[in-house]
Parts: sequence; structure tokens; C-alpha cells
Amino acid sequence: MVITDLLYNHILSSFFVVAGTIALFQLIAMLQSKLNAIWLQPMLITILVIMAILLWQDISFDSYFTNSWLLNALLEPAVVALGFPLYQHLETIKKQWKSIILVLFIGALIAIISSFVITMLLIGDYTIAVALSLKSVTTPIAIAIAGQLDGNTAITAFAIILAGFFGALVGPPWLRFIKVTSPKAQGLAIGAASHAIGTATVSNISYEHAAYSSLALIVSAVITALISPFIISFLASLL
Amino acid sequence: MVEVSVSTFKKKTFNALYSSFAIFSCLALGKLCSYFAPILPASLYGLIIFTVTLHFRLFNAEHIKSTVVWCIKHMGVCFVPAGVGIINHFDLIKQFGIAIVAITFVTTFVLLTLVGLHYQRYAIDEEPN
Repeated sequence: MVITDLLYNHILSSFFVVAGTIALFQLIAMLQSKLNAIWLQPMLITILVIMAILLWQDISFDSYFTNSWLLNALLEPAVVALGFPLYQHLETIKKQWKSIILVLFIGALIAIISSFVITMLLIGDYTIAVALSLKSVTTPIAIAIAGQLDGNTAITAFAIILAGFFGALVGPPWLRFIKVTSPKAQGLAIGAASHAIGTATVSNISYEHAAYSSLALIVSAVITALISPFIISFLASLL
Repeated sequence: MVEVSVSTFKKKTFNALYSSFAIFSCLALGKLCSYFAPILPASLYGLIIFTVTLHFRLFNAEHIKSTVVWCIKHMGVCFVPAGVGIINHFDLIKQFGIAIVAITFVTTFVLLTLVGLHYQRYAIDEEPN
């Protein structure tokens, strides 16, 4: 009897937490498209509201996290689904794969090294340095790599959202200012630096922006996943 | 009218089940790969396997497209629990918040500028007209 009660309560509270999180997210997404406000980013605002509710009601993060396991479990299939846009862009990659991979490889290399070294020098904490060196990569992949390298996954998630916003809001005007006007170059740059948030924002400009930005998002993530374990362990042994 | 909506419902259900089967079987293969060669996370192996199977038409992209577009549009909600985790690290944010924001800001700009300028040069070389 006690066991069935426990099980029942657990399923009920899991359902409440997952349904509540989804409802809040959808509500903010609807508001965002209605008001046409980029800053009203559903992921960011949902995180802030839930944090406020947990603090206000004195609920521990662990109990929220345990009950939201379903959303967390869906992260892995969500990453697999990103294979579809990659498949759609295979023809483009075939034609220009050398230049695209070279540019994104150099970009990922410099992003990882500069973030890791600056963080180690300024803050001196390995878990934060790993988190910041992965911030340009799409969340599910960055979280997986951060976990593998003993980085702080919460700081990773936070820095990814920050990087997404900087690039999405300031990226297009900045690129125009430095005379990067080609839609391909703009798309690649924003996809490489600001992953899904940047891609979602520039997709409204043109189809070419959307294609190149999601291409950069996926290729950068794969390159970062392949090279970051080696670079980070090498840099950690030096610093 | 009713018949049409029933058949679209059936089609949508079939497509959703077909896509889930495709995604989860690629993920299962990915788990197997990361067990034997733990270089990449299982989900990333799954991503690559999914792309390859679509390319070689082992799965029909027509049935998958609508479901995957829907998934990608709504996948943001899955990142919420991980993001809320920041609540356990308020002391870190209090201590290093400004440094974290500054480092993120500077390195994101470096990356944007570098990739943008480099590829702009390639794009111009490839399209002289």
C-alpha cells in the first residue's frame, strides 16, 4: 500500500513538473512570437521563472531535477534529430567542404584555447574553464562533453545561453560593420559562435542564412566534440 | 471532410512513430558505438548514424521531415532542467559572474569576427562575379 502510494505520488509530481515546465515554455514562446521580441527567449525566461519559483517556495533543485527526468531524457534523441538538417545540407558540404571545415576547425580551436586559457588565468577553476570553452556549441552536445570532461554542466548551460544572445542580438550588425556582407559568411559565423539561438534568429533573414548557420552549428559541434578532450587535457597539464 | 482529417491524422501518427523508430534505433546504435569506442558521446554517434542512414535512403526522409522540424522547433524545453541547475551554483556566480560574462562576450566576438572574415574571403574567391 505504502509503495503504491509513493509510486503514485512520484508519477503525479513528475507529471505536474514536466507539464508545468512545458506549459510555461509554450506560453512564453507564444508571447515572443506575438510581441516579436527576441529578448523574450523562451528557454532563458522559463529557466529564470522556475528558478524564482524554487527559491520562493523553498523547493530544492534536486527534487525539481528528479521530477523533470523525462525532459532530461529527451536531450539525447533531440541531438540525434539534428542529423536531419545536416543530411539536408550534405550537397552543399560536398561542394565546399574543404573551406567550410577549415574555417570552422580554426574557429573551434581558437574558441576552445582562448576561453580555457583566459578562464584559467582569471578564475583558476578547471570546471568553469571547461564550461566556458564549450559555450559556442549547441546545448545537448556541450552538456555531454562537459560531463565527460568533468566540467560544470550548470555553468556550461548558462554560458551557452549568454553566448547565444550576444551573437544573435549583436552579431548581424557587427558583421555588417566589419564588411562581412555575404549571407553564407554571416550564417556560418553566427552558427559557429551562437549555435541554435543565433541560428533561430538569423533564419528570419534569408534561406541561405538558415542553411549555413545550421550547418555551422552542427559541424562546429562535431569538431569541438572530437578535438576538445585532447586540447583541454593538454592545456590543463600546462597550466 | 471527416475522412480527409482522419487520413491526415493517420498519416501524422504513422510519420511520428516512423521518425521515433528511426531516431531511437540510431541512438541505440550510437550507445553501442560509444560503449566500444568512448570518443564521442552516444547522442553524437547517433546524429552521424542518422545522417548516414538518411543519405543512403535506409529511412525515408519524406516521412521524417515534419516530425523532426517539430522536434527541433520545440527542443529548447528539454534544456530547461539543466539550466535551472545554475541555482546550485549561486556562490560561483556571485564570485565570478562578471568574469564569466566578460570572457563569454569577448571570445564570442573573436569567433564571430574570425569565421565571418575568413569565410567572406572564400565566398568572394568562389564567386568572382
